[in-house]
Amino acid sequence: MKGVSELAAQPPRPSLDTADDRTLVGRAIDGDIRSFEVLVRRYGPLMRAYATRVLGSTDETDDVVQEAFITAWQRLDELQDASVVKSWLMRIVSHKGIDRVRARREHGDLDTIDLPVPDHATPPRIAEAHSQQEALSQALSGLPEQQRQCWVLKEVAGYSYDEIAEQLQLPASTVRGLLSRARKNLMTEMEAWR
Amino acid sequence: MTFSDEPIVPRRVEDTQPVETDDLDGHTIEELSDYLDRNCLPAIASIDESPACQIALEALGRLRAISLGMLEAEALAEAPRDESWISGIINSIGLDARAGRNIPVQHPSPTAHLTITEGAVRGMIRAAGDAVGGVLVGSCRLTGDVTVPGEPISVDVEVSVLWGTRITEVADAVRKAIYTELLKHTELTVSGINVTVHDVLFHRDEPNDGIELP
Repeated sequence: MKGVSELAAQPPRPSLDTADDRTLVGRAIDGDIRSFEVLVRRYGPLMRAYATRVLGSTDETDDVVQEAFITAWQRLDELQDASVVKSWLMRIVSHKGIDRVRARREHGDLDTIDLPVPDHATPPRIAEAHSQQEALSQALSGLPEQQRQCWVLKEVAGYSYDEIAEQLQLPASTVRGLLSRARKNLMTEMEAWR
Repeated sequence: MTFSDEPIVPRRVEDTQPVETDDLDGHTIEELSDYLDRNCLPAIASIDESPACQIALEALGRLRAISLGMLEAEALAEAPRDESWISGIINSIGLDARAGRNIPVQHPSPTAHLTITEGAVRGMIRAAGDAVGGVLVGSCRLTGDVTVPGEPISVDVEVSVLWGTRITEVADAVRKAIYTELLKHTELTVSGINVTVHDVLFHRDEPNDGIELP
């Protein structure tokens, strides 16, 4: 029995940490918490970076990402194609982040007002950025809140104008205007860095 | 002089031109961005032939590419979260929703009513499959009415196998392991166990992920 003797030398057990998303999602739907934990470790950092961009600070990032994962766990079985779990998670965290932003606006926080960027807004630190990514990161931080949110939703999350308008509860024309200003500001700032 | 025909000079001038956001030969940044969204199709001659538009398009495309990379880089650079953040999430999720159907188990006493949840049986199936080695169980389904004793049940499991493993042998071993386990701990009448290999796992030190592939 050649086959049996070969099987006796057992191949190593693959680790969940290196498992593909489909395996992890399938197991998590069936109730395997360890697989869900691997997904949290795998995509948590990106979701945190995204949430911080939408929110403008790290104060609420932990809460927002935590809420996103709890919702994801509850709705995981609605995910038709497990290979898109990453973008699915990004959409959930996006919704959660925008919910916070809207709640802030309803409470009348001043920093949600679309303040104009000063003409010479290029702070010297942008010129000192070590990489294009760092420069953009700093340029984005200098944008008025709504411009930044529109930019992140459009260019990072890939939302359409209408989806952004719906999420932010703004007229589509306002979203177009905000995006247009965000683009001009970022292009100018990045040009200064280059 | 022959070198006067060289196209280098005008190209250089173009390269050093600042990006223009307002005077775009009759176009707007928004139009250009939409044009970029459509991969510049169908072609619009007045954009394609305008140097100012071309410079702006290039800058927009660059910005877009950096945006995606920026988040990934920030995620990588972030200090690892402390375990309490992760356990906070894990402790907040409810397991109840995953219990599934109740599977009856007979007991000598007529007054005792024993059941085992479908979720627990799936856990057994996963553990049995994983223990074979070289394979990782993904989702598993119990098809048939598990709540009725004696009803024939079929089991469908998805697995991924380690690169280099003999798929037919490992699939057989998984089926045997699951069958033995179910026979030992449940009274299910297992009519079949179907194993579907949906992925091949590579060892960690090998270039895997498929991300590098074009």
